[in-house]
Amino acid sequence: MKRVLSLFALAVLSVGMVCAGGNQETSQTEKPVKEIYFWHAFGDAARSQWIEDRAGEFNTSHPGYKVVVEAKGSYRDTLQAAILADKQGSAPHLVQVFEVGSQLAYDSGIFMPVGEIGSFDTSDYIKPVLNYYTINDKVNSIPFNSSSPVLYINKDKIVEAGYPVDYVPATFSDVIKLLETAKAKGVEGAKFSMCLHGWYFEQWMSEQNAMLVNNGNGRDARATETNLNSPAGMKIGNFMAELAKKDLYTYSGKFEDWNGSDAIFEEGKAMIHITSTADLGNISKAVEGKFKLGVGFIPIPDGATRNGTVIGGASVWVTKNHPEDELTAARDFVLFMTNTENMVSWHKLTGYYPVRNSSVEALKQEGWFDSDANQIVAFNQLLQTKSNKASAGALAGTLTDNRTIIETALQKILQGADVKSALAEAKILSDTKLKEYNANF
Amino acid sequence: MNKKKKGALWVHIVLCTAVILVCFPIVFALIKSTQNTAQVLSPSLKIGSSFFHNFKRAFFDYKLWIYMKNSLVISVYVTLGKIILSFLAAFALVYFKFKGKKIIFIFIIVTLMMPTEVLILGLFNLIANKPAASLLQWASWVFNPVKLLFHPIAYGFGWSNTNLAIIVPFLASATGVFLFIQHFNSVPRSLVDSSRIDGTGPIGFIFHILIPMSWNTIGALALIQFVYVWNQYLWPRVIVRYDANQVVQVGMNKIIAIGDSVAWGEVMSGAIIAMIPPLIIFALLYNAFMKGYALSSDK
Amino acid sequence: MNIFDQGENAVFRGTWKAVLFLLPTILILIVFLYFPAWHSLVMSFFRNNLFLGTHTFIGLGNYRNLFTGPLAPAFLQSLTQTLLISLLIVFIGISASIFLAIQANKKIKGGTVYRMLLIWPFALSPAVAGTIFLFIFNPEVGIMNTLLDFLFSVKPRWLDSPLLALTLVVFAAVWKYLGYNIVFYLAALQNIPTEPLEAADIDGAGAWRKFFNVLYPLLSPTTFFLVFTNISYAFFETFGLIDILTTGGPVGPPTVLDKTGITTTLMYKVFQDGFGGSSNMGFAAAESVILTIMVGVVAYFQFSSMGKGIHYQG
Repeated sequence: MKRVLSLFALAVLSVGMVCAGGNQETSQTEKPVKEIYFWHAFGDAARSQWIEDRAGEFNTSHPGYKVVVEAKGSYRDTLQAAILADKQGSAPHLVQVFEVGSQLAYDSGIFMPVGEIGSFDTSDYIKPVLNYYTINDKVNSIPFNSSSPVLYINKDKIVEAGYPVDYVPATFSDVIKLLETAKAKGVEGAKFSMCLHGWYFEQWMSEQNAMLVNNGNGRDARATETNLNSPAGMKIGNFMAELAKKDLYTYSGKFEDWNGSDAIFEEGKAMIHITSTADLGNISKAVEGKFKLGVGFIPIPDGATRNGTVIGGASVWVTKNHPEDELTAARDFVLFMTNTENMVSWHKLTGYYPVRNSSVEALKQEGWFDSDANQIVAFNQLLQTKSNKASAGALAGTLTDNRTIIETALQKILQGADVKSALAEAKILSDTKLKEYNANF
Repeated sequence: MNKKKKGALWVHIVLCTAVILVCFPIVFALIKSTQNTAQVLSPSLKIGSSFFHNFKRAFFDYKLWIYMKNSLVISVYVTLGKIILSFLAAFALVYFKFKGKKIIFIFIIVTLMMPTEVLILGLFNLIANKPAASLLQWASWVFNPVKLLFHPIAYGFGWSNTNLAIIVPFLASATGVFLFIQHFNSVPRSLVDSSRIDGTGPIGFIFHILIPMSWNTIGALALIQFVYVWNQYLWPRVIVRYDANQVVQVGMNKIIAIGDSVAWGEVMSGAIIAMIPPLIIFALLYNAFMKGYALSSDK
Repeated sequence: MNIFDQGENAVFRGTWKAVLFLLPTILILIVFLYFPAWHSLVMSFFRNNLFLGTHTFIGLGNYRNLFTGPLAPAFLQSLTQTLLISLLIVFIGISASIFLAIQANKKIKGGTVYRMLLIWPFALSPAVAGTIFLFIFNPEVGIMNTLLDFLFSVKPRWLDSPLLALTLVVFAAVWKYLGYNIVFYLAALQNIPTEPLEAADIDGAGAWRKFFNVLYPLLSPTTFFLVFTNISYAFFETFGLIDILTTGGPVGPPTVLDKTGITTTLMYKVFQDGFGGSSNMGFAAAESVILTIMVGVVAYFQFSSMGKGIHYQG
């Protein structure tokens, strides 16, 4: 026994010593080349590699600077990591912040409006996208990956249900009718499979030109109340209730489980699905050879005039307290990453909108939209969005809490709870959280 | 006789069922880790040929090897640290005569009631906050009781980008002190006396008598602590912000949480890889553990 | 605490030497346990937001929010659930492992093989357990539902129907910890003198009587030790399992337990409130203080029962 243990101790010690040397990789040592840190939230190979490649190109063309890219997990984790790093005095220069984290990031005080670093031209950025990231009339961050939800359709099942192959349900009742018909015809997987996510609630509020929070969606003044149980909110709740009652909805059972829901759709266990345009690439690839994929605008509540979706995704923020030249280099990197040509390739790779008008033009001239109808659908939905406060998206410090609260309420509704009381309760809870948060100021 | 045979049959049936229930999920994971994308979502339980592909993806593309390396370093340091520190503390408590022994013992043992998890918010600030810029600044905080105790934690260690954040706070162990005290109390008095007559000092006593007599307890503690540290999830999940420093328990989950649809074969091979080191330790130290435990139970 | 009964072992003198040996342990405990524990307590009296870095003294405000007002129901529910889940894990885990350990300890063919097969999952982590269960019980693509669908044409909603999700979490937690419990029981059983059992055999005692009158008392020190470790496992270490398997969800049955996810244990809630969403750390600190009190109560009973004759042998 003694010998085994000594051997073991020896083995572990040597492993420990060999490995211990590698721990200091992240410490920022003095180097002739200035490092610019960029933290983002893409864990998947395709997207993170794309960013790495752009950083590599930038580094070759800008000797003296080295952009170091790191993926930090989810959007929530990325923002938290940045704030934590700032506490320690080692904040990255650039941070990708998701849309609902905007107010939180703004309030945290670790960022500065990118407009304050010299001047740069924003006229080429697409209006609805830029709107979201303009706070107090200042361009606060540079739009990067923008998307909105679209309807994904299993065309084989549509045909099986007796509908024309290009059929796209336009309203909530169209969806119910489609699924019921399919179910009656014995189509396997006659279900709707979006993941349970507060993001969709936000989208459907915008589609009805309804504000998610008061004070002009938090853009006139700090929001103090949410509108979760407004008539617009009730329509969404009722839709989910009806789907559940008729057993037409399915998901993995977890909140915000994008991948779980995608898998259900890709496996042919569902007929229609809603998820981000950014998944177009991944989903198309996954269903290749399995079934014919269609894409359409998301269905909206009956009787509503289509107002358009809120821009989702994220933008890149710049943190304070760095030397002037590093800030400029950081900004230049983001401008390079989102330049006309790069946004074209980003769009082709992922399905995220190119955030520049010139990129859209370039894609049009190339005939990209003619070649792939699914891509243009997603894009048209954005271009047809009306520019108002509802579609500009809400600003409030607790929007991430709000999402969880909405998801809880919707899940309750799926289980048969009364829609009215579930949403009323959600509103009270969300308002309380908002009050707690606002009390910090 | 017949009755006895029937009884034995029942025991076999019960145990077989239990073994199947206990082992199935892991065997299942093992099988799935060998299948390709098409097979893995099917109910098929045939062993596939994609194990190396999945393994390679998980280990290199998802950087599991970095997480494994970190987990290994952390587990080794913490296990060794806990053993050495609690050995020394128990040694002082058992073999030394001094005042305040009981108070110190209680001071140590009360921490059994304070798992890291309940003080995670305080610990988070202590570890994550920026260190003081100067010694003076630091001293004016530490030596001002009101500020130190009643104001928010002003300075910390700034460790959230190093492995130290998951090593140092765990180096002391009340369980370890407790186990060693029990074990030392079972060491025959005569041995202690004879070493006294030889004129051996404390250090000599530790190396010549105590350590050779304590291998089983050390082994038992090493096993428990290694498995505990290896399996830690919450604290690294909260404090570690750099992939380069992440541990495997949290890192493994990243294969699930990335943008593409879940590659379950790769996830399962990740889960299997993450299980191997503690299993090896378990196999190596199992006998020591059983004996070390028996020893302390004899009392 | 009879730990120093053999005080005669204390043969060395020199207080400073003893202090030197004790110093590393004491320093670490003060800096990394007592100090942060104290500050978690202090934090609970402040409004404290991680993102904003704010600190405002609000007295008992956070505690008031725990017990009254719109935030209270979710906290009280998670408190109830923590107790319920822990009770189930401890009760099922301990009974199953005591039963299996006794069976595996019998002198039968292949006993060693059974023992090894039962205890090797000792080294499993909650995160690994969560990952594997997540795959097996995925409602649409998991093998469990594929099988059930094929056999009985049912597809239970494992992760979003409250009762099933709770059962699944408890089952996974018990499964993960079974190896650990069995190891300790086997170690204890192998050190039990055989005479009392043989005496009971001669008396012709039935299996149940033999268990309760002879075996159970002999195992009770191990049981006491394991009850404590199991409770602390259920309180804290199930976090990884829950985080991966259910993320605290699904919301419980309407009107009964529908204020928060049914598998949201107090520890998970501390994490959600402190580090998730807009990160209200003061509120989370108040929750963690309550959690500490709960651990303290459990430990108190543990230690006081140790004092009353059942002495600690783990």
